[in-house]
Amino acid sequence: MATAHAPASAAGPGTGGPLAALRGRPALGKLLLLLAVAAVAVPLVHARWGGGAWPGALTADLSAPLGEVNDWIVSNRDSHPLFVYFLGHVSNAVVLSVRGVYLALLALGWAGVTAVAALVAWRTAGVRLAVTAGACFVVCGLLGMWVPTMQTLALMVVAVLASVVLGILLGLAAGLSDRTFRFLRPVLDTMQVLPAFAYLLPVVLVFGIGVPGAVLATVVYAAPPMARLTALGLRGADAGVMEAVTSLGATGRQRLLTARLPLARKELLLGLNQTIMMALSMAVIASVIGAGGLGDRVYQALSSVDVGAALAAGIPIVLLAVVLDRTTEAAGRKAGTEPTGRAALRGARGWALAAVLAAAVAVVGRLGGGRVWPEGGVVPVAGPVNTAKDWMVDHLYTGIPVIGGTADWAAHFTSWILNPLRGGLQGLPWWSVLLIVAALAWTIGTWRTALTAVLAMAAIGVLGVWEPSMDTLSQVVAAVAVTLVLGFAVAVGAARSERLERGLRPVLDVFQTMPQFVYLIPVVALFGVGRAPAAAAAVVYALPAVVRITTQGLRGVDPAAMECARSLGATPGQQLRQVQLPLARPALLLAVNQGVVLVLAVVIIGGLVGSGALGYDVVFGLAQGDLATGLVAGAAIVCLGLMLDRVTQPTARRSRKES
Amino acid sequence: MSESTAPAPARTTSGSAAPVFSVRGLWKVFGPRAERVPGSEYAGLPPAELREATGCTAAVRDVSFDVAKGEVFVVMGLSGSGKSTLVRCLTRLVEPTSGTLTIDGEDVLAMDRGRLRELRRHRAAMVFQHFGLLPHRTVLDNVAYGLEIQGLGKAARRAKAAELVEKVGLAGLENRRPAQLSGGQQQRVGLARALAVDPSVLLFDEPFSALDPLIRREMQDEVVRLHREEGRTMVFITHDLSEALRLGTRIALMRDGGIVQLGTPEEIVGSPADDYVREFVRDVPREQVLTVATAMRPPTAGDGETGPALRPDATVSEAIEAVVRSQQPTARVMDDGRLLGVVDHACLLDVVAGTGAHGVSV
Amino acid sequence: MARTTPRTAARARTRTSATVASAAALLAVTGCGAADMTKQASPFAAPADIKTVTLSVQSWVGAQANVAVASKLLQDELGYRVDLVQTDEVPAWDALSQGRVDAILEDWGHPDQEKLYVQDKKTIVPGGDLGVTGHIGWYVPKYWADEHPDVTDWKNLDRYADELRTPESGDKGQLMDGSPSYVTNDKALVKNLGLDYKVVFAGSEAAQITQIQQFAKAKKPFLSYWYQPQWLFNEVPMVEVKLPEYTDACGAKAPADIDCAYPTTPLQKYLNADFSRRGKDAAAFLRKFSWSERDQNEVSRMIASDRLTPDEAAERWIARNPDIWKKWLD
Repeated sequence: MATAHAPASAAGPGTGGPLAALRGRPALGKLLLLLAVAAVAVPLVHARWGGGAWPGALTADLSAPLGEVNDWIVSNRDSHPLFVYFLGHVSNAVVLSVRGVYLALLALGWAGVTAVAALVAWRTAGVRLAVTAGACFVVCGLLGMWVPTMQTLALMVVAVLASVVLGILLGLAAGLSDRTFRFLRPVLDTMQVLPAFAYLLPVVLVFGIGVPGAVLATVVYAAPPMARLTALGLRGADAGVMEAVTSLGATGRQRLLTARLPLARKELLLGLNQTIMMALSMAVIASVIGAGGLGDRVYQALSSVDVGAALAAGIPIVLLAVVLDRTTEAAGRKAGTEPTGRAALRGARGWALAAVLAAAVAVVGRLGGGRVWPEGGVVPVAGPVNTAKDWMVDHLYTGIPVIGGTADWAAHFTSWILNPLRGGLQGLPWWSVLLIVAALAWTIGTWRTALTAVLAMAAIGVLGVWEPSMDTLSQVVAAVAVTLVLGFAVAVGAARSERLERGLRPVLDVFQTMPQFVYLIPVVALFGVGRAPAAAAAVVYALPAVVRITTQGLRGVDPAAMECARSLGATPGQQLRQVQLPLARPALLLAVNQGVVLVLAVVIIGGLVGSGALGYDVVFGLAQGDLATGLVAGAAIVCLGLMLDRVTQPTARRSRKES
Repeated sequence: MSESTAPAPARTTSGSAAPVFSVRGLWKVFGPRAERVPGSEYAGLPPAELREATGCTAAVRDVSFDVAKGEVFVVMGLSGSGKSTLVRCLTRLVEPTSGTLTIDGEDVLAMDRGRLRELRRHRAAMVFQHFGLLPHRTVLDNVAYGLEIQGLGKAARRAKAAELVEKVGLAGLENRRPAQLSGGQQQRVGLARALAVDPSVLLFDEPFSALDPLIRREMQDEVVRLHREEGRTMVFITHDLSEALRLGTRIALMRDGGIVQLGTPEEIVGSPADDYVREFVRDVPREQVLTVATAMRPPTAGDGETGPALRPDATVSEAIEAVVRSQQPTARVMDDGRLLGVVDHACLLDVVAGTGAHGVSV
Repeated sequence: MARTTPRTAARARTRTSATVASAAALLAVTGCGAADMTKQASPFAAPADIKTVTLSVQSWVGAQANVAVASKLLQDELGYRVDLVQTDEVPAWDALSQGRVDAILEDWGHPDQEKLYVQDKKTIVPGGDLGVTGHIGWYVPKYWADEHPDVTDWKNLDRYADELRTPESGDKGQLMDGSPSYVTNDKALVKNLGLDYKVVFAGSEAAQITQIQQFAKAKKPFLSYWYQPQWLFNEVPMVEVKLPEYTDACGAKAPADIDCAYPTTPLQKYLNADFSRRGKDAAAFLRKFSWSERDQNEVSRMIASDRLTPDEAAERWIARNPDIWKKWLD
């Protein structure tokens, strides 16, 4: 899909001389320059190393040194000072704090936890969300998932607190110092586009499988948005206000505490929201490295293809996500506005009342029942769900006349789209892949992005994982294509019809808050195991963002331009093609970029449901303790993510994100 | 620009002692190695050539003036003339490139951080074009902010702030947030915040240009009232000539960073220093600015007997009104019972038509 | 500037002392100095002061059967609380060495880990035979082998590669493997024996079983990595394909060079060394735990085929076979 841009911008010679044509079309100029470089370099390179897959002469085998590092760590983990005096303490602190929170949650009892959740939601977001929050925890209990939910929650609390502290510290550094900002900005931007899976292995290498590693991976994954938004918020403080504060003689500390930080409150709360959502997503994925809790239940259920059990664990994850997201979002919306509601319930008094109520409920709950959800009060859903799934497998899976079954679709998608694509990509000479990457990245972005993209791609070759990376890439391309076709179609409809958009919005909201892991459950039920279900999960995961960005882009088109087109008698189709789409180009490019990033994240996790390639290598590395393989694959995923982001990164993205 | 170094004594500051602000040869140059520009061969270049030659922009170039105690000193110019930079230099919100600057005789440029903070906290408070209010605080806490950072206790600062909220006419809105106020109300908060620290000088940076014309007028009246009641020294930046003429005891007219003319409103309108100023003041209703002291001619025999008596600082338009009412051909300009001169129809019409030569001031 | 110097110095002093104090506090909290992260328990371990055993449970059903019966007996007969930790095979060794897990009940042979942890570091001790003999191999369905008897020799496999093509394997025949965590040399075997096949990983044993059941329902041919004992043989009879015979010399080769069949492995139990010393009756019980293939398959099938929870399956087996498990408790 993304390739459509290059020919479009290169097409059609301009009027006048060739130079004039070039001046009018910078993209064409870039391509010609690239072509010239290629004409010189390709024959040389081809003669030296040949075409086809990445030449073996240019790879660096990292598995031996990485294996040695792994062995060294295993044998020194209980003796080397670095571990005993530093990492050991880190690890212990994590275990202690997670345990503390976990025991506190258990001590509150199910009634207490539910009451606290509902009351916090009530204070920040109102009665409706309070009911939702309370219901959410009750459902967790009814599904028999109380203990795993508390485990995930305990892990989340610790990870989010650590992420927020770390993020704010980094954000303060970057927000107050230009040099730190220039250095941190690209790092944070890049960390945000990398698939969660890539973070697991380095952590496992150091901390081994278990809760400490899971928490730290979560912190590393979830801290960047906090840091990024803190920095942006601090830097974005209204210059006029800051000047006024300075003019009154405030000291540096007073400026920070009384003005800069409060002014950035919206960004800080948005950062908290994003951090919580990313932490939840990661805390679930980190079950692969021993995080326990809900993710572990999903992971176990997936490995026995027990869709019912997976769903029973997946629902609490979704509910937690929705409640946490809505509560923090409401807090962010409310920041800086006049307190509303009855005077008696405003501010500290309201919170005090909430605390008293929560304590009362907790005490009553503990007197009446136990720490955990009563065993009798569990509604078994796994059985019925599995029955339904079995029925589906029997009736929808295959052999339905005309439309075929889901398994047939998966098979067709695999043999008609994925296989040719993979064959094509793996069959392309390696240098031509580099050239295509360079051309795409340069036409859409700048020479810098192009250079980063090409270097990232070359790094994949050097790592010696060219083939699996092409396999992953083919899955990404196929899934992105499907996502964009579906997404643009829906978005065009939603931009046209107010009613469709209104109906769509809550659906998109919910879909966007769900952790990536959850998407694997239904697709395994529908499509079995392999690359097709991974691609399907990726499409479902990326679709909401694409639809939303595209709809907003189409809607945001200058009404004056639309009015002008209508007044000239353009048909709706003409309006779309000639006015809306061209004017919404930045939004469309952003949608492509987001789509690619999100799809990659899920295609990688697809390694858990048999999508093979890089994701499988990571799973394999974790499962076999072969961290060398896993780390190399993880590095390749990072490179692939970097490349895909840069190739689809519109030049203007930076400035838009800041505004 | 040398005329600006010797300010004429102003009407309301007769017998004034040491100036509040004294500025000499002040430069602010933005750009790479800005410090080399003042006093060099580049100093005299026009802006475009200076940028071409050095990559620098001189926002304030070689400016000198004094602000007398109790006066309203207006700095006027179009956008980009350097007036906002100039006012920020006064409390070093923008660090001057070179020159000298004193407040009450104390060298501002030599102050260390703590001393400078004292200056900003107690001696010069500023009111901003875009208000610069803290959106997360109530009106009361915004007004009390200056006192808060001085370390004043909560009760004391709130009491003081409440007093000022009342004074600027916002009583009853103490617990609103800035976003819930109109522009004019917000600027009243800004004004109250500046007044709360009881500064010896108030600095205004185009405070009313973001407001509607009617509100602007109201706020100008407010400033006039405050000045009349408290006699506080004010430095007022504006791009609006009528505002400058309305408020200013003296006006410094700036262009390209330098002061083109400095004088009373009457001097600016009556005897523009060059074509730029003349063009600038062309549409001003001169009869409302010029005084009869400028317009009068020496009395001839018999003039001193009849006609209404006017003070020398009465405006021409007041004279016209008096002449018309009295049905006399002339009016007498009297100061303490002494006849200074007379104005007749011809004198007054000359002013209105802008044809007379009024270079003489008394 | 001079005026502020003493204040700055004072502030610096308070900052230093604050740092020292917090460092001291950290040390006080974390014990003193050294912290061995290899001796950590899970933060989610049972909250009360109950006797606890942590067992590693692997992803295949046979292992779940062992653990289900063992933990049921530990709970009901010996009064322990049992925590289960799902880990893959190799990480389980690491966890066992660190004491995060007390026992592995079914190990299919990991010589590298055995050397490192049992012989060198002595953090793990052998726990004896499980009583079950494991064998890994390549299997085809009996209905297909009956039609084409020669398929059971690896030399003839290439002839059937066309029939075994799937979308995932492309133009080669599909050799289906299970979970990435299992012991497998299949990629090396396909390469070293020069077969026209592609190894396709189903991702998990459950996925592999589902796939096999679907092939069987449609009576389609397939070639799969599989192992005995396995309850699925009762449902889908399968025949092993003969690979070049296993020799010790071949088994000693580097993993990438192996070109012979899988060995037959008496499945082993391993215990954490500390647990083995201090675990009293629980450790003794786990050392004695030993049952037959038939018993294991019975429980496995109740879990996988009849969709009972492991706990229920174990309960039924325990009710039916008291004479077997009573011996483990003596």
